[in-house]
Amino acid sequence: MAKPKVALYWAAACGGCDVAVLDTNEKILDIANIADIVLWPVALDFKYHHIEAMEDKAIDLCLFNGAIRNSEQEKIAKLLRNKSKVMVAFGACACFGGIPALGNLTNRAEIFQRVYVEAQSDDNSNKVLPQTLTKVSEGELELPELFDTVSTLAQVVDVEYFVPGCPPPVDIILKVVDAFAKGQLPPVGSVIGSDKTCCDECDRVKEEKKITKIYRPHEIIPDPKKCLLEQGVICCGPATRGGCGLRCVKANMPCRGCFGPPPKVADQGAALVSAIASIYQGNTEEEIAQMVEEVVDPVGTFYRFALADSMLKRKRMGPTEGERK
Amino acid sequence: MRKVSIDPITRLEGHGKIEIFLNDEGDVANAYLQIPELRGFEKFCEGRPVEEMPRIVPRICGV
Repeated sequence: MAKPKVALYWAAACGGCDVAVLDTNEKILDIANIADIVLWPVALDFKYHHIEAMEDKAIDLCLFNGAIRNSEQEKIAKLLRNKSKVMVAFGACACFGGIPALGNLTNRAEIFQRVYVEAQSDDNSNKVLPQTLTKVSEGELELPELFDTVSTLAQVVDVEYFVPGCPPPVDIILKVVDAFAKGQLPPVGSVIGSDKTCCDECDRVKEEKKITKIYRPHEIIPDPKKCLLEQGVICCGPATRGGCGLRCVKANMPCRGCFGPPPKVADQGAALVSAIASIYQGNTEEEIAQMVEEVVDPVGTFYRFALADSMLKRKRMGPTEGERK
Repeated sequence: MRKVSIDPITRLEGHGKIEIFLNDEGDVANAYLQIPELRGFEKFCEGRPVEEMPRIVPRICGV
């Protein structure tokens, strides 16, 4: 019997999700044993035309990491969707936008200006910006169109499963592979993680304490045994899905939310604002205003990994060219 | 002029494609390496607290 076909792809991503797959160490050989990998740019030399030549739904499982930031990524997402029976949004960027979705606080024109005109390392006195079509003496060169707004995978194509994390931890990757191999995938739409929050899974001591000040790292040495939030350090654990293994809080670093919102929470950042407001001991308007001041970067903190997936989605900047239709 | 596209280039971190133009004799007339990817860290890191940079910029490249 032919082995099932598996594709792995990266869109607006860093490659960390692909490395996480390799972090399964010798188990990667099991994956290669049970499946034929038909696309994996970081590791194998398959081209887009190989995928285009396949029949629809010829691929059994596609693990797609990265957000959708340009027209090529959108095109490949649609191509892989058509060719795949099961599409998995793999990692925080594909699930929620991830770090690249912080680009939704700006737009294409500002990014081009900063990257190609203002950057100190530029040697671009003619201020040339990337063009989707460039005529050269030998013919034409094409580049994808950079979108103003970063999207999640599910905002572009239908997705069966979501594997959160930046990157997804090895135990969750193996759980997905195992379920796939045994034909025991969960109901469509499932997020492969815990149904609890990070906070529920964290074993730091919580004392139901109220806070009166929010601290930045240089202002405090947090007690490694106590709840970070109750020490006044912003921790995204109360509004983040668990299952991550608490990699950050175990290193005495606050959670930044890479597992996205827990079940039944539509907007991770709003849930975090609510969690922090509920433990803040502020009675007067002045005290509350003071606390708001102490949060240096609300949107970049509360929506660190999930801006594209949020109700905000992006910063409003007025009409701009090239907005995705 | 004939064009040979290598898309994507593989087994490295990041996105790239190569366009090779061949002349009538079938020799390489010119070749272009293009990077079809940009995320804009240079811009969206502005406004983020400096102490958060060690948790944001590792996502430039995770390999």
